[in-house]
Amino acid sequence: MTAVTISRVARTFGAVRAVAGVSIAIEAGELFTLLGPSGCGKTTLLRMVAGFCDLDEGSIHFADRRIDTLPPHRRNTGMVFQNYAIFPNLTVHGNVAYGLSARGVAADDMRGRVERALALVHLPGYGERWPHQLSGGQLQRVALARSLVIEPDVLLLDEPLSNLDAQLRVDMRREIRALQQRLGITAIYVTHDQEEALAISDRIAVMRAGRLEQVGAPAAIYRAPATPFVAEFLGATNLLTGRVAGREDGHLLVDALGRRFRLPAVDAAAGTDVTFSLRPEALQPVTVAVAGAATVAGEIAAAEHLGALLHLEVRLGDGPPLRVAMLDDGAVAPAVGRPVTLAYDPSRITVFPP
Amino acid sequence: MRRLLPPRSAFPLTVAAFAFAFLGLFLAWPLYKVLASSFLDAEGARFTLDAYVKVFATGYYRSAVANSLAIGVMTTLACMAIGLPMAFLLARMAIPGRSVLLALSALPLILPSFIGAYAWVLLFGRAGIVTQWLQGLGLPTTTIYGMPGIVMVFTLHSFPYVLLPALAAVRAVDASIEEAGQNLGASRWRVFRTVTVPVIMPAVLAGGLLVFIETLENFGVPFVLAEDMPILAIEAYKLFVGEVGANPAMAGALAMLLVVMAALALLLQRHYLARRRFATVARSAPPVIRTGPLGRWAASAFVWGLVLLALLPFVAIVVVALMKFRGPVLQPEFSLGNFVQLFERAQRPLANTLGLATVAAVGASLIGIPIAYVLTRYRSPIAHALDVLAMVPFAVAGTVLGIGLILAFNSGWLVLTGGWLILVLAWLVRKLPFSVRSGSAILHQIDPTLEEASVNLGRSPSWTFFRLTVPLMLGGIVGGTVLAWVTIVSELSSTVVLYSGPWTTMTVVIFRALEGQGAGTAAAAATVLIVATVVPLALVYRLLRRNNLAVL
Ligand SMILES: Nc1ncnc2c1ncn2[C@@H]1O[C@H](COP(=O)(O)OP(=O)(O)OP(=O)(O)O)[C@@H](O)[C@H]1O
Ligand SMILES: [Mg+2]
Repeated sequence: MTAVTISRVARTFGAVRAVAGVSIAIEAGELFTLLGPSGCGKTTLLRMVAGFCDLDEGSIHFADRRIDTLPPHRRNTGMVFQNYAIFPNLTVHGNVAYGLSARGVAADDMRGRVERALALVHLPGYGERWPHQLSGGQLQRVALARSLVIEPDVLLLDEPLSNLDAQLRVDMRREIRALQQRLGITAIYVTHDQEEALAISDRIAVMRAGRLEQVGAPAAIYRAPATPFVAEFLGATNLLTGRVAGREDGHLLVDALGRRFRLPAVDAAAGTDVTFSLRPEALQPVTVAVAGAATVAGEIAAAEHLGALLHLEVRLGDGPPLRVAMLDDGAVAPAVGRPVTLAYDPSRITVFPP
Repeated sequence: MRRLLPPRSAFPLTVAAFAFAFLGLFLAWPLYKVLASSFLDAEGARFTLDAYVKVFATGYYRSAVANSLAIGVMTTLACMAIGLPMAFLLARMAIPGRSVLLALSALPLILPSFIGAYAWVLLFGRAGIVTQWLQGLGLPTTTIYGMPGIVMVFTLHSFPYVLLPALAAVRAVDASIEEAGQNLGASRWRVFRTVTVPVIMPAVLAGGLLVFIETLENFGVPFVLAEDMPILAIEAYKLFVGEVGANPAMAGALAMLLVVMAALALLLQRHYLARRRFATVARSAPPVIRTGPLGRWAASAFVWGLVLLALLPFVAIVVVALMKFRGPVLQPEFSLGNFVQLFERAQRPLANTLGLATVAAVGASLIGIPIAYVLTRYRSPIAHALDVLAMVPFAVAGTVLGIGLILAFNSGWLVLTGGWLILVLAWLVRKLPFSVRSGSAILHQIDPTLEEASVNLGRSPSWTFFRLTVPLMLGGIVGGTVLAWVTIVSELSSTVVLYSGPWTTMTVVIFRALEGQGAGTAAAAATVLIVATVVPLALVYRLLRRNNLAVL
């Protein structure tokens, strides 16, 4: 268990600021996810920790030890690569034992540790197999065992599941999470899949163009995104811009899409524009309008039935339709063109002050 | 501020430092000596342009420049004119025995060009077998000497330089490109001219450049066939060893002309290719062209005819070597006498050749592969500089390097002249571009994350390179080393400048025999060289890649 402190690290490739002054304090035993769109610098940051990418500025510490001045082979990190990076010239046993023999572990001790590591990833007895005899999922397990067996200070995973098919991805991410928690190991996990990030992380850092946009627990980030970018990147949302019309009952009144919305009060003068995020599941069609409840009226522009879920697109006045997600309880007939009233809880709206 | 020395740079810096030191000492320093000598007066004290003025004022040397250029250009054009259609036919037509043909078509490149020339002389020279036979029948004879003969021998030797890359390019042209052209209303010939040819042209030109530089610097073929015609590479050698009084300044000036011409060709080609890179990925190869039996017969005759013609002299040499000579006169009788004589007289050169070539080839791989590794895996200004430096020997004619090595190491703190090491060093430096390029080609097929995984698991970069990467590269390295060895065995242009005393080689034996009487011994020596070339190649054929050959 090792805490990782990343302080103001930066790296420029030619004209690209791949990582532009990032500071993160990762706690011991935490699974910390770097999430962001392609090219935002996630891999670069992770490779800085591993030592494969030199820092222009800043420092990285494992606990109290500064490690960014160490060569990569002396940092004691365990890296799991996107393409597995299993040595084709070694057996499964040879692969898993690789880091142990680099550390001078005695042969008899080694055998036991390799077997235990393979058992940990549900591949007991696979030691004598050759990599080309294994499936993609099994190769990724070998890679995991190979990284875990050396008891690294930090486990580094760069999109470890992106080469696997959908179902295996879900199974593997659960396994990785369970292993990480059981061993209490600190892990940094890179992904651009927001669902994966939400599912397994203790905390998530959303990155954009080499900077941190927001850091926090998954639910907190989802419920209270700090910027419009985070709101859109993490989960679907309706991102609206409207003009402040005034205040009422401790709410901000905002006109958008030809309707009046009630938003949580923030510092914004009447006549200014504000942007706000309205999650699809925060909007619910109602048959009987409760007096005093916040509602908007529109008509159904499109409907998509996804089994348990019903996705609606509701056109209000002008502009793009609102996305609505609800459990399909049969109460709403999703006929295109039907008028519908949507109720919402103003406290579930996130406002981004101007 | 980026740290000047990032923590993971020890290994690449070590390799780069060694490479710079090595090439600085054995390439840059000798070249500088050649350059300096060309600008010094007779006493070696004052800066002067006299040597260059004299070269351009002397009609003889002007025509040496003109002849070398003309031979280079004509050979290049001829190789393209042969290589391009051959590549197209081999890729698109059902020519019988295609796989044998493909294996054979690389062979002319590897067989020593100067033995090829010698074989043509044995057949068509003044006392040639065919010539005498024709004379005996009272028929007119043609001459193999002079410009047409030289261009023909060079062309038959070098056309695979164009054929191999062109073949790869033709195969990589996606069917849909040609189909799109036809769909837009172009005739098949028009599509070939306006779509296919432009797409494969970069490959053809890259091959053409190799032909040009190789031809320019080649010593053996013109030595055998030029007679009194002046040729740059030979004149530089003559002026340097001085049959009628050495003139190092003028030798240096001619040598610099050779280097400048090759470098210009290299730059010209870079300039052209920089703006034309067509990444073509063949999803579906274009269909085999259907023609009547006449078309197929003509195509087969063309391709087979050329390949066999290119290999014919080598067969002839082997046959001649196995025949009985009485003096210079060939007897219609088989005998091993030539070989017996050869082994009586030339055991030492044979051992020299095989042993020293091995040292040089292994050395070229030992130095070249780490350089290739640093070039492909560490992108940095140092790596880039290394890349440029490691390609310089490519533009330096063997004669020039030989002269430079003698100027640099015949006195002073390091004396190498008169020994074997200077031969090994010359060959090693000359083969370095090949080792680096073939190493890079192998490395591009090994996933770099394997090495990162190894380092991440606690092995140092140098351990990782030697114990993980090198074993993964081994097949390719062996293939590349053998290929380098094969070409070193038949090297002549620097050897002829550098050999001395007991350190003669087989090529020198043949070279000397050409002047003297021992046609039979020379043929036997050439046969030994051919066998020494073909047998190892056949053994490692599976490890070789076509792109290996294309960067020889
Ligand atoms: N070695 C390099 N040389 C030049 N530019 C680089 C290099 N490595 C990364 N970059 C650039 O830095 C930026 C960040 O790259 P990085 O690989 O960290 O992105 P990423 O967030 O991991 O993206 P992805 O999700 O696509 O993997 C990109 O613009 C990329 O082009
Ligand atoms: Mg990445």
